[in-house]
Amino acid sequence: MIAADHMFDEMLDGPDARGREPYRSLLSWLEDQDFTKLRKQSAQAEDLFRRIGITFNVYGDEDGEERIIPFDLIPRIIAADEWRRLERGIIQRVAAINAFLSDIYHQQEIVRAGVIPASLIHENKAFMPQMCGFTPPGNVYTHVVGVDIVRTGPDSFFVLEDNARVPSGVSYMIENRATMLQMFPELFASHRIQGVGDYPKQLFKSLAESAHTFIDNPNIAVLTPGIFNSAYYEHSFLADEMGVDLLQGSDLEVRDGRVIIRTTAGTAPVDVIYRRVDDEFLDPLSFNPDSVLGTPGLFDAYRSGAVMLANAPGAGIADDKAIYAYMPEIIEFYMGEKPLLENIPTWRCSEPDNLAYVLEHLADLVVKEVHGSGGYGMLVGPAASKRELAAFSRKLQANPSNYVAQPTLALSTVPVLTKAGLASRHVDLRPFVLVSPNGIRVTPGGLTRVALKKGSLVVNSSQGGGTKDTWVLEA
Amino acid sequence: MLGRHADSLFWMARYLERSENLARQIQAAFYHSLTRKGDDVDEWASIIRRTGMADSFDAKHDTMSMANALNFLLRDKTNDDSVISLLAKSRQNARSVRNALTQEVWQSLNESWMTGSEALKRPVNIRDLPALLENIIKASSVFRGALYGTMLHNDIFNFLRLGTFIERADNTARIVGSKYHRLLPTAAASLGGSDQSQWEVMLRALAAWRSYNWLNKGHLDPTAVATFLIFDNRMPRSLSFCYGEICANLQDLEAAYGTSYACGDSARAIAQQLDNGREADIYRLGFRDFVSSFMADSNQLTLAISADFNLGP
Repeated sequence: MIAADHMFDEMLDGPDARGREPYRSLLSWLEDQDFTKLRKQSAQAEDLFRRIGITFNVYGDEDGEERIIPFDLIPRIIAADEWRRLERGIIQRVAAINAFLSDIYHQQEIVRAGVIPASLIHENKAFMPQMCGFTPPGNVYTHVVGVDIVRTGPDSFFVLEDNARVPSGVSYMIENRATMLQMFPELFASHRIQGVGDYPKQLFKSLAESAHTFIDNPNIAVLTPGIFNSAYYEHSFLADEMGVDLLQGSDLEVRDGRVIIRTTAGTAPVDVIYRRVDDEFLDPLSFNPDSVLGTPGLFDAYRSGAVMLANAPGAGIADDKAIYAYMPEIIEFYMGEKPLLENIPTWRCSEPDNLAYVLEHLADLVVKEVHGSGGYGMLVGPAASKRELAAFSRKLQANPSNYVAQPTLALSTVPVLTKAGLASRHVDLRPFVLVSPNGIRVTPGGLTRVALKKGSLVVNSSQGGGTKDTWVLEA
Repeated sequence: MLGRHADSLFWMARYLERSENLARQIQAAFYHSLTRKGDDVDEWASIIRRTGMADSFDAKHDTMSMANALNFLLRDKTNDDSVISLLAKSRQNARSVRNALTQEVWQSLNESWMTGSEALKRPVNIRDLPALLENIIKASSVFRGALYGTMLHNDIFNFLRLGTFIERADNTARIVGSKYHRLLPTAAASLGGSDQSQWEVMLRALAAWRSYNWLNKGHLDPTAVATFLIFDNRMPRSLSFCYGEICANLQDLEAAYGTSYACGDSARAIAQQLDNGREADIYRLGFRDFVSSFMADSNQLTLAISADFNLGP
C-alpha cells in the first residue's frame, strides 16, 4: 500500500505519454512553452510577491530579514470526482472533531464508553479545564480548520494531521491563484477551475454566523501577535479582505464586561475575534500570567458571552498527535460511520504490543512526540544512523506514552520548474475548512506545499518548501 | 478607527516627509558644496545640528566631512533619523496598518524602502548621489499621488495628512530658525550683497528656489525670503500653508466625529498667530522669538492631537 519504492506522479503517471487525465491539457500547453521565458516569469512572480509584501519573518534572523515562500508556477490539478471524495471525507472529519471537542468539554461520553483513555484527555497539555461546561455559540469549536492531506496513489489519500488551532497559509492559496491568473490567463480560458477568491467573504460570513445570536451586525476583528509574527502578512490580508480591524492584544480592553477598543472617536465594542494568537497568549489572567501579549479578562468575557473567539480556546487538543491516532475511532463514535478519509496507520507506543513492534521496526518508521510540532523531536528511521536509532530507542523505552510511530510514506509528486526543466517533487495539500452553526464549507483546493529539494519529503517553508496553485476542476 | 492605527498612519506620513525633507537638505548642501571653493563643511554641520543629530554624530565621527555626513545622514542604520532608518520606520508603520491603506499606497512605500535599502547598502559614490536623492524625493511624490488618487478621503486620510504637514511645518521652522540671522534685515548689509548663497541653499532645501525667483523676479532679499517661507499661502512648505492644511484636516475630523477638540482650537490659535505675524511685521514682534514660540506651540499641538484621538501604542 505504501511501499516507499514507488512514487506516484500526479501529472505523469497516466496510461500513456499524454499523462493523467486532469493534466492533459496543461501538458500539451507546457509542450508549447519556452522554458527560458517561463523561468523569467517565475522570477517576476517572486518579485511581485516581494513588492506586494507577501513575506514572512524568520525567527531568530538578526537582520529581521523578510523572506518570500518560493512559488512554483506549475499548477497542481485535482479532478472534480477526486475532490468530491476528499471534500466529503474532510467534512465528516471536521464534524467529528467538533463533536469530540463538545463532548470532552461536557459529559465526556467517549471516555465513559472506553473508546479513549481518560488520561489522554486530562493529562493533555492542550486540554483546557477552563472550557468545561461552556458551550460556544452553535457548539462550534473550530471555525477554521486546515486538514493536511497526502497522496500515495491514484486512489490513496491520507490525512497527515489536523490543524484545529490557528491554521495558516490561506493567503498563499489566494495570492497564488491571483498571480497565476495574471501570468497565464489563457490557462484559465482553457480550463474550468473552481474559484478560491471568495474565501475571505466566506470567512466573514462564517464568523458572523458564529456570533452570539442576540448581536445584530457583529463587529468582527482579526487578532494578531503583531508585525513580527511569521504569518503577519496573512493576518493583515484577511482583515483587509474582510474589511475589519486588525488588532493586537494590547488594543483590547475589557470594560464593564464588554470587550472594547480605544478608537480615535472614543471606544468601540468588539463582538467576534478571529484570533491568530495561541491560547496561552489570549489572557494573562486565565492562561499564562507571564504573557505580556494578552488581554486581561478576555476569557471571562468570552465565557460570559460578551465576545466570541474563533477558534475556541482548548480546540487544540483535537490536533494533538496522541489524539490523531484515535481519529478513526472518534469519527466512528460520533458519526456512526466509517471514516471516509484514512488516517496514516499509527502505533501508539503507550500500548505494549505497539511499543514492541515499533522498537523492532524503528529503522523503517517515523517516530513523533505526541505534543510536538514543526518536526521537532522526531525520528525519521530510514534516514537515521545506527547510533541515532539506538539513542532514540532508549528515549522511547523511558517514556513510551510520549511517542507515536508511523510508516514512511511515498508521497505523490508533481513536477516543478527547475533550471533543468521539469522535475518531480513531493507535495502535500492543506484544504481550508470553515465551520459555522449553519454548516461546514471547504474551499475547493487549498494550499499545495512542495518540497523543492530533490527527493525531500519536507514541505515546510522554513525548510526549503515552496507552494503551488491548486486547481480543482469543475465537473 | 483604532487609536493605535491612527498613530501609525500619522507617523508613517511624518517619517516619509522627514526623509524627503532630509534628502532635499542634502541636495541643497551638496549643490552648495560643489559651487563653492574649498572644503566648506558648514552646511553639513548645519543640517546635523538643526535636525537634532549632533550628539549622535559626534559620538561616531571625529571630524565633519562630506563623506562622514553623507554616510551618517543617508545610510547609518544606527542613526534613527538617517534616510534609511526613516524609510524603514515609515514602512514599518505602514505594515502595521496595511489594511487601512490601498495596495498602491502600501506598494509605493514598500518599493521605496526596497530600492532605498538596496541603493544604500554600500557607501554612496558622489556620482550616484544626485540620482539617489531624486529617487528618495520621488518616493514621496508617488506616495502622495497614490494617496490622493486611490484612498478614501476620510479619517485615515486626515491622519496621514496631519502627519505630513506637522512634520513639514516643523522642518521649515527648523531651517528658518537655525538661520534666523541670515533672514534679519541687517543680513543684507552684513553679507554685502556678495554672498547670497545662504538664501539660495535655504530656498533649495525647501523646494522653493525657482518659485521664489519667479515671484520676485530673481531679486534676493532677506525679508522677502523670510516672508515667503513663513507666510506665503501659495508656497506648499510655508508655515502658513502647512497650518491651513492642519486646520482643514482637523476640521474634517471634527466634522466626521461630530465634536470639537482641544487640538483643533490649538491649531486654529497657531494659524491665527501666523496671520498676526504677517500683518504686524514679524521683525517688530521679534523674529527669533516668533519662530521659536511657533516651534514650541507646534510640539504642544502634536501632544494634544495624540491625547484627543487616543493615539499612541
